[in-house]
Parts: sequence; C-alpha cells; structure tokens
Amino acid sequence: MNRKTAIKSIVAIVTLGGVSGAVYQFFTPGEPIPLSDLPKKKALIAELAETIIPRTHTPGAKDAHVENYIIKMITENTEPKMQRSFLAGVNAVEHYTMDEYNKPFVNCTTEEKNAVVKHFESKANLPFEILNKANRKFLGAPFFFHLRDLTVEGYCTSLKGATQGMAYLPVPVTFEACIPLQKNQLAWATK
Amino acid sequence: MELCKKGLKTLLLERGRNVEHIKDYPTATLNPWDFPYGMNNPPKFKADSPIQSSITYAGDAHFFVNDKEHPYVQEKPFLWHRGYHVGGRSLTWGRQCYRLSDLDFEANLKDGVAVDWPIRYKDIAPWYSYAEKHIGVSGNKENLHQLPDGDFLPPMELNCIERHLNDSIRKKTPDRLITIARIANLTKGWDSRGPCMNRNMCSRGCPFGGYFSSNSSTIPAAMQTGNLTLRPFSTVAEVLYDENTQRAKGVRVIDTETKESFEYYAKVVFLNASTIATAGILLNSKSHRYPNGLGNDSGELGHNLMDHHSSAGALGKHAGYKDMYYKGRRPSGFLIPRYRNLNGDEGLGYKRGFNVQGHGERAEWWDTMKQGSFGTDFKKQITTPGPWTVWMAGWGECLPYHENQISLNATEKDRWGLPLINIDFSFKENEEKMMDDIRKSCGEMLEAAGFDGVETFNYKKPGGTTVHEMGTARMGRDPKTSVLNGNNQVHGVKNLFVTDGSCMTSSASQNPSLTYMALTARAADFAVNELKKGNI
Repeated sequence: MNRKTAIKSIVAIVTLGGVSGAVYQFFTPGEPIPLSDLPKKKALIAELAETIIPRTHTPGAKDAHVENYIIKMITENTEPKMQRSFLAGVNAVEHYTMDEYNKPFVNCTTEEKNAVVKHFESKANLPFEILNKANRKFLGAPFFFHLRDLTVEGYCTSLKGATQGMAYLPVPVTFEACIPLQKNQLAWATK
Repeated sequence: MELCKKGLKTLLLERGRNVEHIKDYPTATLNPWDFPYGMNNPPKFKADSPIQSSITYAGDAHFFVNDKEHPYVQEKPFLWHRGYHVGGRSLTWGRQCYRLSDLDFEANLKDGVAVDWPIRYKDIAPWYSYAEKHIGVSGNKENLHQLPDGDFLPPMELNCIERHLNDSIRKKTPDRLITIARIANLTKGWDSRGPCMNRNMCSRGCPFGGYFSSNSSTIPAAMQTGNLTLRPFSTVAEVLYDENTQRAKGVRVIDTETKESFEYYAKVVFLNASTIATAGILLNSKSHRYPNGLGNDSGELGHNLMDHHSSAGALGKHAGYKDMYYKGRRPSGFLIPRYRNLNGDEGLGYKRGFNVQGHGERAEWWDTMKQGSFGTDFKKQITTPGPWTVWMAGWGECLPYHENQISLNATEKDRWGLPLINIDFSFKENEEKMMDDIRKSCGEMLEAAGFDGVETFNYKKPGGTTVHEMGTARMGRDPKTSVLNGNNQVHGVKNLFVTDGSCMTSSASQNPSLTYMALTARAADFAVNELKKGNI
C-alpha cells in the first residue's frame, strides 16, 4: 500500500466516525505488555520522560519523579483503549531499541535515546499531518503524544517542576495586569 | 438570611450534606502535587459522574453530584450540572453579576413572544443595588442602556492583550467596547470577608472569603441572628397545600439518609431548589385543587425551559507585547456587552442578542506543549511564556419555547421513591442563527485587531452546558399563562414564593444569578410586609 492509499484509508476510516481497531493498529503496532508489568518498567519510563524533559540548569523529569505520575495515571486513571495503546508503545520502544542498539533503552547514550524517541515521534506525526484537529479527538493519542502529554503534566504539576522548572505563586495577593517580562523569566506554573 | 434578619424563625432545608465555610473546603489550599492525579478528575468520580466530569477537575469534583445516585432522563441531550450540598452552586458558580435592563424586560412584549414580564427595571433596580452592596461586585461603570451599571467595588484590570483588543474594538466599532467582567470577587475587604487573593481557585471554596457564596456570607449571617435552623440531608418531596386556607401548609421532607418521611409547617415557604428541581417538586405536589401540580392552573409549570448557549466564538494569537507578562491569577475574564438588536430587529435574521465573554493570556504549558518536539528546546518552550492569545465566545439568549420542558417520569423513581425528571430541550433556529453571527463577529474582531491564526468555532454544545437553566415556573401578569406573579408568589397560593431560575420569563443574555438574588431579597421583603399586614 503506498503512502497516498494509506492516507486515504485513514481519512476514510476516520470520517466514518469513532475509533476502529484498524485505525488503532496504525498507532499501536504490536502487543501491549500486561498492565501488571508496568511498575517493572519504572526505569525505562523515567528515562523516556527525562529524554522529553531533561535536567538542564533546572530539574528534569527524573528529578521530579515523573515516572511515578505516568505509571499511576496509566494504571488507575486511563480508559482501557488508551491504556492498551500506551502499553503497546512501551513494548514497541523496548523492541525497537534492542533491534537498533542491541541494549535496553536505559543503557543507551543520550544520542541513542534521542534517536529512539525521535523515531516514535515521527511515527506519531505522520497521520497527524494529514488529519485535522476534530478527527484527532476520535483517534486518541499515538504513543509518543500520550507519553509526551503525561510527561509534561507530571512535570508541571510536580513540586520540583512547578517551583523550580517554572514559577509557582500559591497566594499572589494582588493581580498585576501588565508588567515587563524579565530576561529568562519562567512561565507561571498554574493559571 | 433576609427572613432571619427580619425576625422570622426560618428552617433551611438542603437535600445534601452541610459544607461549612473554610472547614469543609478540603482542596482549597492544595498545591498541584498534593493531588494524586494532577488536576485530572479522580477515576471513581469519572466513573460515577460522567456528566459532571465534563466540567469538573480534581479541585472541585466533590462539589458536584454523583450522577449514578442522581439520575435523570435526557429526552434530548441536556447536561444537568449541579451539586447537592448546603450552598449548592454558590460555591462553584462563575461569579459574574450583570443587571438585566428594560431592553430585556420589554422584549417578550415587543416581540410577541411568550408572555410579558410583570416587572420592569425600575421595580428591581433598588434590589440589584441591595444585592450588589451585600455580596460585593467589582466592576467598571460603562453607562450602557442595555447593561445597567451597578454599585461596584473597584474593577479588576485588563491585561496587555485585552487592552489592545479593547482599543481596536472601540476604534473600529465605536458602538462596542470591552469591559472587565463584573464579578462577585472582592477587590477590597467587604462584610468581614476578602479581599480576593487572585489565586483563581474559587470553585474549591475560598478560605479568604474572597468571593460571594452562601457558605461564606449569608448562611453565617443568618446563623448569627439566632433564627436559623439548618437541616441538611432533607429532600423536599412536595409542598403541602391546604385547600381551606388556600395556602401552602409546609413541606413533606424525606431524610436522604434514613428515608423517613415527615412534615414541616410554616407560615411562608420559599421554594428555591433551582430551576429543574423546583418545577419537579411543584409538579409532584398534587392535590384535589391542583391535580397537575401546585400552582399549575396555567399548564406552564415545567415548560419554557431555557439555557444560554455558549458554543460559538473565536480564538487567535498575537505576535506583539512579547516583552510583557502579568503576575497573579485574575479570577475573571472580560466582557463585550451586547451590541446586537439594541434598537428592535436589526435584520440580522434572529431576535435578541448575546454578550461576548473571553480572556487573554500568554500561552503556558497546557498549550505550548501541543506544538514542539522533546528535549532541551521543548523544555524551554513549555517553561517560558508563549505567545499572547485571546479566546472569546458569545453567551446568547435563548427564547422561551413551550415545548422545551421538564416533566415527571411516569414510571422511573430515584432511591427515595421520587419520580425521575425528564428533560426535553433543544436550541432552535433563533439560537442557531445567533450562533452563526457570534462566530463570524468574534472572528472579525480578532482579525481587525491583528491576531494571527484566527479560528472561529461553534462547539454546538447541548442545553445545560452553560449551567444557566431557567424558566420552568415563569412570572407573568396572567394566571392563565404563568405560574408566578410580579412578586414571585405562586398565583393563587399567596404564601408560596419561588425566586430561583425557574421564575425567569425570558433569559436575556446576562449571567442570571444576580437577578435571582435581587428578586429574592425583594420577595422576602414583600413576604414579611404581607405577613405583618395579615395578607398571607
């Protein structure tokens, strides 16, 4: 099937409305790992999150224990289809990394980790270039976007992320409506 | 509070639990990391309350009903949002307070729609003042006929992008303007509460008393008189009618915990269970005299249900003001007061009008995370302020249609043996045409102000989603076509008053809560005077 036909098929499936197994297959190649195995993947999830939000001069995802948030959200607060696709994504990352580098993700160099995540990012972006926003809602998120969103949420709502990675002001007292932005000023962590 | 302050021993019945100011606000001062799932609704709440979940988050989910415990029947899609606890939606409301004007009070008469309001602006104006002065409303006077000014505390301020949009709108369309939302958040200490600390966490309940809720204000004040008895866990099954005296005798209550049923008697009854529930209670209050529900000679009880639509608008981003930001989280947006059909039918293809509500902000992580990649640059992107953006939508009037109605289900009952409520509601052509105009008009204003990537939208949300449901026991001049008179008395039942959303004869486009408060204070004053005169 060439790219044009593939694209037309996706659009056709999507415009019929709702999520179909075939569409999900596009985003979730392969089998999911069992949910009960997810806690064993803590180190992998931590490294994936750290690749997305690394430590710089401010804490990164590992400093903020984002892997705990991700695992808790997937285990307890994610609906089954999205759970399944995330767990399949984890499996896919493990297999892909082993195939490419002959070692687990956690043992890879930073360059190698970036390359692996980039691979999954481009897989996620392909159909998203084609489909409009409304259709995306029906499809849910491909693995990379799901991982990214959870990583960002987990980081930005964490103690280290909110208070050191950004600026957190629990009780502002006053509202200053229009003030100069300082050089390198961080964004507010809450709205 | 009004009745207690005027010396009446008052019983306040609430079907849910008590929520005491500050003591019962479990999430009020929690940080984002104190919640187990970030800001996401907890899984049990999502499972039990799929309808409420669409508007709640971890901070306020506990102030909304368990949908499984409180089912209702959607004959057409209608999302009924509420919380069953002392204080109700006064804890979670949007706090915007706008006065209706004679443009609104005269509209039904002039358009030949539904029935005429039995009051005009001059009847309610002193009570708007009364309510505003008690609750504290911050706002800016704009001297507009269609949106009368109130007795305001100092206004909150517009930010850079909102000022820019305001300048553009005033210049390009001089009949329009942006003003800061008129909001029941205190910009100075008021009535032993506040001021607002600009945390924007109001729906969790405010330990500073920074905004008006019954819990922070009127209930404690009523308690202090010594005249208030508060009984939570008390569902009112029906209002009891005495055929001999032609008065409401009292109410029959079902204790929601024990399911015991008993009766309370009173000289005056104020029924304010909120629009849908009030009509449901009256429909369930059957007697020989009123076989179709108490006060329902007209057949209008339960009918004429309205909700504002708030589905259409526009958003965009702006490349300017990159060197500006803000500090603090203003708990309000901006308002573009109604500018359509101010002088009769302007040939727009629809009657009535809308106001535009919106906010400007710099994109922060929720939005900046959606574009971009991963790694160091991505981290910088999500942790620094993004471009300025504005989102705005029209809050539009809904006409009263007789066929939009609530009714009691013939067979299905809730766990207390009370009939489930059927809701049959849809927006119709007038509302849809208005939404088309709102969408186009909002887009034009943003384009004209130099915004990029302007997207217009119409989410086509079902009824109930604006949470401004009204009209099911409307006021009117004629008992044959309305349920209440100009004093909010049920026609023919002089000691029974209804002053919640069900009383609204038309919806206007203004957020309605201030009008409910004004009508309530006015009716309470009337009721007490009538009692003193021996008329009721």
